[in-house]
Amino acid sequence: MSRFLFPRWSNLVLPTIILAALTIPVYAVFFVAYGFSPKTLEVGYQPKQPVPFSHALHAGELGMDCRYCHTSVEKAAHASVPPTQTCMNCHTQIRPQSPKLADVRESYETGLPVEWTRIHKLPDFAYFDHSAHVNRGIGCVSCHGRIDKMEVVYQKSALSMGWCLECHRNPDPNLRPVSEITNLAYDGATELTQTERDALKKKYHISPSEDCSTCHR
Amino acid sequence: MIPKPPRVLIFLGVLAGLAAIVPPAVIARVRATPDENRAVHMFFDMDFQPKFKTQAVNPLFADGRAQRYAVAGTVARGETDLDTHLHQGVVNGAWAESLPAGLEMTDAFLARGQQRFNIYCSVCHGYAGFGDGTVNKRAMELMANAEGPVYGTSWVQAKSLHDPVVREHQLGMLYNVVTNGIRNMAGYGAQIDLEDRWAIAAYVKALQLSQNASLQDVPTELRDNLKKGNLQNGEVK
Repeated sequence: MSRFLFPRWSNLVLPTIILAALTIPVYAVFFVAYGFSPKTLEVGYQPKQPVPFSHALHAGELGMDCRYCHTSVEKAAHASVPPTQTCMNCHTQIRPQSPKLADVRESYETGLPVEWTRIHKLPDFAYFDHSAHVNRGIGCVSCHGRIDKMEVVYQKSALSMGWCLECHRNPDPNLRPVSEITNLAYDGATELTQTERDALKKKYHISPSEDCSTCHR
Repeated sequence: MIPKPPRVLIFLGVLAGLAAIVPPAVIARVRATPDENRAVHMFFDMDFQPKFKTQAVNPLFADGRAQRYAVAGTVARGETDLDTHLHQGVVNGAWAESLPAGLEMTDAFLARGQQRFNIYCSVCHGYAGFGDGTVNKRAMELMANAEGPVYGTSWVQAKSLHDPVVREHQLGMLYNVVTNGIRNMAGYGAQIDLEDRWAIAAYVKALQLSQNASLQDVPTELRDNLKKGNLQNGEVK
């Protein structure tokens, strides 16, 4: 009866185990950080909407100001989704019978709202205020991206707490004069000098808070 | 020299190495492509609380609106709207010729009017008020379509605000048109705040004046510069 002998290559088992013990945790951390990041999970959410409304046409080609529809953005925390009447300011006369407008017509006739799918969502314990930002020189584009180039709107930014703090700690690249807030093509990072940015910060009293209670109540 | 392990083990090792590349590749792809479905929510914390936020859905109501309309026949405090000058642009049964009490014709007021005009009115009437806004242009193109107006389009050229008839309109009437609309134009009372509607009416008056001004309207000390074409943004260069 021959004795069992480990083959000579089994000497490799121990270094392999050590190597795996070192790399697998690193890999797992990377996987979670990269894969479960809001940049992976939240960014790029582009739901199909009931009406194929094109921001690229309305805000882009026609150059309509964001505030034509989102009227409450300068006055309230919430940037309102327009009522059907706003669509009908023009669409009673422009393409009124278009099949793409079927849901808008139905809403106009029944008085029931068009059921848009909300894209940008914050946790219910975070209180973001649009008016506080747009009235102090943070433009729409800083968070929403080039909406005027989107046929179908998608979420551009992670809307995570880390992402908020990035700007609260260093708002300079996102600053612009209040007159340019809805100008999506304007890039404060290239259009303004640091002196001008400092002047804006002074003018708008910008010293972004990092306190918990600023956003969490 | 270390002897080689059996082939099957080498094969498995290489396979594991290759398989490890797959998840990052999938993640990279997810990051680069839009997705119609919202991502699975990993940690709920208190992200979804049983409360209604602005413009949220409340399934308990037939129309699904969490925000409710005021009960029919009720008037909220501060919304009696009994000041005919302020709310309707009417004084003693005629269109008001002046701003209502509390509003002043200042540079800031006109600048506000210009800004609001550019947001809400310029789309049809154009920035200078000649009825050549982008929406108007596009609608006119649809009307001129070779195969007939598209999908029932029936657009009437937007009014030039420098039309002699429109120039005759009193401030109060302009305010009323902005608020309640006229002919094919919808009312903007729900979209634009009360004071801003007056500011727009005032700006329209200024716009009309700008296109129909004579040299006598220019302050004496600026006339020479105007003749030389040196006037820019209201300031002498």
